[in-house]
Amino acid sequence: MSIEVNNISYSIKDLQILKDVSLTIKKNEVLSLLGPNGSGKSTLLKIISGDINPKSGSVLFDNINLDNINIIDRARIRSVMSQSQDIIYDFSVKEVIEMGWLEGKEFITEKFDNALKKVGMECEISHLFDKSFNQLSGGEKRKVHFARTLIQMYNKDFETKSRYIMLDEPTANLDISHELQLINILKKKTLEGFGIFIILHDLNLAYHFSDKVAFIKEGKICAFGNPDEVFKEKILTKIYGLDVSFDNSTKKISYY
Amino acid sequence: MLNGLDRFFRYISFKQLIIFNVLILVLILTMTVGISKGSFDFSVLKYFTGQLTTLEEEVLVNIRFPRVILAAVVGAALSMSGACLQGLFRNPLADPGLIGVSAGAALGAAFSIVMSAEFFPDFLFTPYLLPLSAILGSAFVISILFIITRGFGFEGMTYMLLAGIAINALAGVGIGILTYISDDSELRGLTFWTMGSFGGVTWNLIVPAIVIILSTIIWTLKISRKLDLLQLGEPEAYRLGVDIKKLRFDIIMSSAIIVGISVSLTGMIGFVGLVVPHLVRLFGGVNHHYLLACSALTGAILMVNADLLSRILIQPAELPVGLITSAIGSPFFLWLIFRMRKK
Repeated sequence: MSIEVNNISYSIKDLQILKDVSLTIKKNEVLSLLGPNGSGKSTLLKIISGDINPKSGSVLFDNINLDNINIIDRARIRSVMSQSQDIIYDFSVKEVIEMGWLEGKEFITEKFDNALKKVGMECEISHLFDKSFNQLSGGEKRKVHFARTLIQMYNKDFETKSRYIMLDEPTANLDISHELQLINILKKKTLEGFGIFIILHDLNLAYHFSDKVAFIKEGKICAFGNPDEVFKEKILTKIYGLDVSFDNSTKKISYY
Repeated sequence: MLNGLDRFFRYISFKQLIIFNVLILVLILTMTVGISKGSFDFSVLKYFTGQLTTLEEEVLVNIRFPRVILAAVVGAALSMSGACLQGLFRNPLADPGLIGVSAGAALGAAFSIVMSAEFFPDFLFTPYLLPLSAILGSAFVISILFIITRGFGFEGMTYMLLAGIAINALAGVGIGILTYISDDSELRGLTFWTMGSFGGVTWNLIVPAIVIILSTIIWTLKISRKLDLLQLGEPEAYRLGVDIKKLRFDIIMSSAIIVGISVSLTGMIGFVGLVVPHLVRLFGGVNHHYLLACSALTGAILMVNADLLSRILIQPAELPVGLITSAIGSPFFLWLIFRMRKK
C-alpha cells in the first residue's frame, strides 16, 4: 500500500523543473521532502496530488495510475494542505472545516458532528468554531485549514485501501508549540494507517519526526532514505552550500 | 429532488431557515400588494370571490398578473445570477453586467429593435424576435469568453473579467452605432427599452420565459455546495473533487440564459444583481445554499416593489424601473466601496 512516483519529469517551456524523480510514500510512514527554495518541492507535491500532469513518468496510488482515478475518488484517497489562501466572504470556522467533509450518498449529520468533535479536540480549535474565519490570526487560520485537511479523510463511507495526507509547509506561521502539536497529530495519523507526505524546511523537525526523508535540489532527488542514512554532514553541506554540522550525541543539526 | 431539498435544509442554519421563511411570506405579501395597487386599486380577494367587474378582471388577469410575476421572476433571476457570479469570481463586485452578458444581450435586443422593421416587416414571430436576438447576443458573448479563456486553466477568472470589460466596450460601440442610424421612433423604443420596464408584457411572451428562468434557477440551486468549496480557491476546490471547468461552464450558461431572457423582456435593469446578494449576506451568512435561495427571494421582493414604485410615483405616467433600481443601487455600490476601503 503506497504511492509510487516513477521517473517524473516536468518542465515549463525550456525550464526543467523536475528531472526523473522517483519516490515511494508508504502507508504508516511520514515522508518529508526538503530542499532549497525553488528546487521543485511544491511542483512535485502538485504532481503527486494530481493538480498538474507531469511531462513524463507516472504516479501510482496503490498500483492504480493517478490518471485513471477521477477527481472525486482522488478526494477520498488523499487530502492536501497547501500554502493557505484567504477566503473573501465571511464564513464561520465551522463552515470552513465543513468544506473538507466529503458527502457520501447522503449527508448523515451525526457522522459529521462526531468527526467535527474529533478534529476539534485533536487540533484544539473547538473554541474557535463559531468565530468568523477572517478574524483569526494567521496561525489560527493555518490550524483551521489543517483541521479541514484532516476531516476530509474522516468519512469512512468510502472504501479505500489507504489514505494519504499531503502538506506543503504546514508549520509556516505556527509557533513552536503548535508546530509540535501539528507534527504529533500527523505522527499519530501514521499509526491509524495514513501515509503522510510533507514539505518541511526545518531540518531538526524533519530528522526527528520523519520515517523517510527525501532531499531535492534543482529538480533532482539527491538523497532518499531513513533520516539516519541521509542526515550526513557531507550530504547536507552539498545540498545547501552551507557548513552544516551534525551532533551525534544530541542528534541536533546546526548551521550557524 | 427530495434529496436536494434534504441537503438544502442540512446546510442552512436555524436562523437562515427563519429568514428563508420570512422572505417567502414577504414575497407573497408584496406580490399581493403589487397586483392590487396601480393606476387604479382593487382587492385581489375579490378576484377569487368573483366580485370584480369585467374591466377589472381584464386588467388583473392580462396586465397586473403577468407584470408582477415577470417582475418577481426577473428580480430573482438577476439576483441569483449576481450571487453565482460573485461566488464564481470570488469577487463581491461581480455582476451579470460585469462579464458582458447583459451588454451582449442588450446589443442583440438593440439590433432587433432597430433592424427588425427593415428586414422583417410582417414576420409571424416578430414578438419573439427581441428575446431571441438578446439570447443570441448573450450566448455569443459567452462563446467568445469561452474561446478566449479556454487555455488558462485555474487562472482563467482574471482574464474572463478583463475580457468582460472589452466586450462591454465593444457592445457599447455596437449600440452606439445602432442608436446613430436609427430613426426617431426606433430611437425612442431603444431609449425606453434601455432604461428597463415591465410595461406591455403579455402572457404568451412571458410564459416560456418564466418556465425557462424558474427551471434554470432551481437547477442552479444544486451547485451551492460546489460554490462554497470554490471559496477556498480553485486548486483547493479541485482537490476536493469539484470539476472546476464544468462548474464554470454551468454557472456561465445558467447566467447567460436567465440574464439574456430577462434583459430581452425588460431592458437593462442595473445593480439588482450586485446589491441583493450583499443584503442577503448582511442578514444571515455567506454559505451558498442560503445565499442563492434567499437572493432569489429578496431579488423578487425588491423588483416587485421597484416596479410598484415605477407605476405609482408619477401617475398616470410611468418611471422606467431601471431608473429606480439604479437610483437605489448606485449609492449602495458607493457605500460598498467605501466600506472596503475602511477594511
